[in-house]
Amino acid sequence: MSLLDWLVLGGTLLFIVGYGTWRTRQAGRTLDGYLLGGRQASWWGIGLSIIATQASAITFLSTPGQAYADGMRFIQFYFGLPVAMVLIAIFAVPIFHRLQVFTAYEYLEGRFDRRTRTLAAGLFLVQRGLSNGLSLYAPALVLSALLGWDISLTVWLIGGLMIAYTVAGGSRAVAVTQQFQVGVIFTGMVVAGYLLVHYLPAGVGFSEAMQVAGGQGKLNLVDFSFDFKDRYNFWSGMTGGLFLALSYFGTDQSQVQRYLAGRSQRESRLGLLMNGLVKVPMQFGILLIGVLLFVFYQFNPAPLTFNRPLLDQVAASPAHAPQLRKLQAEQATLSVAQREATQQLAYAYASHNPTRIAAAQTHRQATDAAARGLQTQAQALFKAAAPTAEAKDTDYVFITFVLHYLPHGLIGLLLAVVLSAAMGSAAGGLNALASTTVVDLYRPAYPRADDLRCVLVSRWATVGWGVLGIGFALFAARLENLIQAVNILGSLFYGAMLGLFMVAFFLPKIGGRAAFLATVVAQATVLLLFWQTDIGYLWFNIIGCGLVVGLAWLVQRIIPLQASSKA
Amino acid sequence: MTKTEQEDTINWRAWYWLVLGALAAEIGFFAYLTNLFA
Repeated sequence: MSLLDWLVLGGTLLFIVGYGTWRTRQAGRTLDGYLLGGRQASWWGIGLSIIATQASAITFLSTPGQAYADGMRFIQFYFGLPVAMVLIAIFAVPIFHRLQVFTAYEYLEGRFDRRTRTLAAGLFLVQRGLSNGLSLYAPALVLSALLGWDISLTVWLIGGLMIAYTVAGGSRAVAVTQQFQVGVIFTGMVVAGYLLVHYLPAGVGFSEAMQVAGGQGKLNLVDFSFDFKDRYNFWSGMTGGLFLALSYFGTDQSQVQRYLAGRSQRESRLGLLMNGLVKVPMQFGILLIGVLLFVFYQFNPAPLTFNRPLLDQVAASPAHAPQLRKLQAEQATLSVAQREATQQLAYAYASHNPTRIAAAQTHRQATDAAARGLQTQAQALFKAAAPTAEAKDTDYVFITFVLHYLPHGLIGLLLAVVLSAAMGSAAGGLNALASTTVVDLYRPAYPRADDLRCVLVSRWATVGWGVLGIGFALFAARLENLIQAVNILGSLFYGAMLGLFMVAFFLPKIGGRAAFLATVVAQATVLLLFWQTDIGYLWFNIIGCGLVVGLAWLVQRIIPLQASSKA
Repeated sequence: MTKTEQEDTINWRAWYWLVLGALAAEIGFFAYLTNLFA
């Protein structure tokens, strides 16, 4: 990191945070102004805010690494999202706008009862409180690896900055900063993609890079075969992904709050549809960066693991360091051979000569087999030397490229992208946690509290949830893969929540008691299934939702406890 | 013109089909790429 990088990084972050705070300095006068920005957001502001809330630093750090290791099949996870946007625009937006609610859970009290609303709010608070911590951990990982700082210090620094502007300006500050953050994110994506192609050897262009990646199975975008245990295929994306998106955008306050802030139903709908149009191409672009990274490292020496702290740990161990040095020497030799084989393959593709392509592929397969053998030895060494350390290195791939290969100035810009995205996403979650705490828990308990009092409690709730998120982030280092961890956590809670809202929207004869009991039983069942089986996590969205709807219907039939709904 | 009247002027069905059509086109393109490099 040069002085220029520090200036770009610091300047970008301070400008975004400073401008957001300044623009929204008068936000705390009313609860509506503080939590929903006075319901004045335009469709494009809502759309950008929705994108920024979903796209955290994890998106930037973890997704390219996932494509690097596993190819582009993760894209299928997002296939259900545009469908969900349409369904939410049709069914949920009119209801929320008509009732002028602050939170999605507020609607449940009118439809069922106070107890069901509190249950839904509680489930949201647990799930979002935990995943917000994960969102904070990702950028802290970057800074700690970069600067050698203690990760706790880094988590506190980033979390503290985010808490400060969210407390100061509320929902409007979150939205204003998110608009700039999305601008920086898209700029960073384009720059990184361009440079990755630019850095390929002479004579190897984008087309050859795609052929090399395709030959290694990295362009596995769509798989129509059905496998219940497969996390990413067309069917899991169109069903589990759809249900996850329905739950996330339809019942998770961190997203519902974004479009509740719209100045009309029209603006909210258009904001959601904008997200439906942009999300899949955006994820495709981020995954493509991962594939280009893979090709880049076929021509440039890749380390035994991108997880630098793990490498340093093994290198410092007297018992394992000699073996590491031996493997690193073999890796250096193999890198030269791999580069040679890949270059031959790329030139063969460019020549369109089938015989030449077949010969180059055979050569390449030989070096691949050697690389796999070396990786097996390296993984065994890492496991022996550091049994508790994170074995996967996918979260480090992109950032390692940024730090080692980008020119000065752009390193600062890409780090600003990662950090501002992290803060934007976590701030959206934090703001929603505070809203739910105040609107769904505090206000019903203290109905005589005025607006100023509620704003004050919202500010303190923001601080409280922020500090709790920081605490959880400090434990996140033990988790396997950040983006998967966030999605798994979401899928465990979202299914039941979506089922509850489905019952509320579409089954008017089911009352509060049946809905409440069904949600409790379904949530417990999902957690039990996650613990006891190896079902792909996306399916829990459908299972949880189906259980709530089925059980609520059954309970209502067996025990005629309540008459039809109040709404 | 009120907000409600403004909303009435939008052909929402066309918007929904635009989003779903874009998704179908993207999946078709991805399937093409997958087969091309398989």
